Amino acid sequence: MSAPEHPTNGLDETVHQRHRLGILTIAAEAESADFGYLRDALGLTPGNLSRHLTVLEEAGLIQVWKGYEGRRPRTWVRITGDGRSALAAEIAALTELLRRHEQAKPG
Amino acid sequence: MSEQNAGSGPAREGPDSGAQVTEAATLLSDVRRLRRQTRSARHAYWLPLVLFGILTCASVPFYIRPLQPGGTGGFGVPAFYVRGFGGFTGQGWRGYLALYWLVAIAAGLTLTFLWYRRHGRQVGLVTPARGFLTTGVVVSLLTLVLSAVGVLPGDLTIRGTLPFLIIAAGLWTLARAERSRALTVVAAIYTATALVASLYNIENVLFRLGWHPAPDQWQLTSLPNVLLPALVLLAAGLAAYMAQRRTRRTA
Repeated sequence: MSAPEHPTNGLDETVHQRHRLGILTIAAEAESADFGYLRDALGLTPGNLSRHLTVLEEAGLIQVWKGYEGRRPRTWVRITGDGRSALAAEIAALTELLRRHEQAKPG
Repeated sequence: MSEQNAGSGPAREGPDSGAQVTEAATLLSDVRRLRRQTRSARHAYWLPLVLFGILTCASVPFYIRPLQPGGTGGFGVPAFYVRGFGGFTGQGWRGYLALYWLVAIAAGLTLTFLWYRRHGRQVGLVTPARGFLTTGVVVSLLTLVLSAVGVLPGDLTIRGTLPFLIIAAGLWTLARAERSRALTVVAAIYTATALVASLYNIENVLFRLGWHPAPDQWQLTSLPNVLLPALVLLAAGLAAYMAQRRTRRTA
């Protein structure tokens, strides 16, 4: 019988990063999230947020599109099906890691 | 978790180090906090609750029974339609009840949809409110079709309170879109109230509690069936408004 897989094997390098995980978490809670909301909620600079969005978009985990509200340009982010799956897998792996740690505690 | 560690990728295999466990706990705590914050910023359901509460209150004149039998039956409203939306009685103002609810439900659904679009643009988080609009339209059309084929149980339609059940269906869809436990509880309470209002004369309870209407007040005896669901919506809407305003102030 083989040993159960270690939970860290379920962690994806693209998602296992605090801010990218935050972006996916927020995007999963809404139909779409605005760049400004993400920037303020995560406390990131616009440049930093843009870099994280590019990584997630290139991995196919989010869709990014630009629109206008009057003359004001706005950038919106929507999580994809793959993004939802990746987020669920990351949370499951982290939860399992903590559960194993609790079980391994003496007493 | 530091940016540097986080960006370097997850550790693989091996025993769970203290750092890994601390990092996992921090990340999960962040996820929970962000979920809570995002839902709180996105919630805007106080308006549809208050709006449908007001629309229900505004329907009161149409539920007042005429003192004398006879009178107008509305302007040529098809019988099946009256049964579905307006109950069996087509006398006096009640003849217009079906038309009122047709307009009120259409207006309520449209205004709610527009409200969520506006709120989404303001906050920067869009709630998927299209489901609410679709549910309201589909259930309303279904009511019309079922009325036309005559399969709707008379017990549900006789008091003209079937529109409350259409509103209840919309609230369940909205609670799912909002991912709100509080709205789910409101939807459950409202559905129960709407069912009671459709199946039972609430005046009987008030009679036992001491309300003995004089003969000239008999025309008002169906109003408790209308005002109770309206009260649930208005109370829940005002409570939600205050809670959502308090949360945004402290955020």
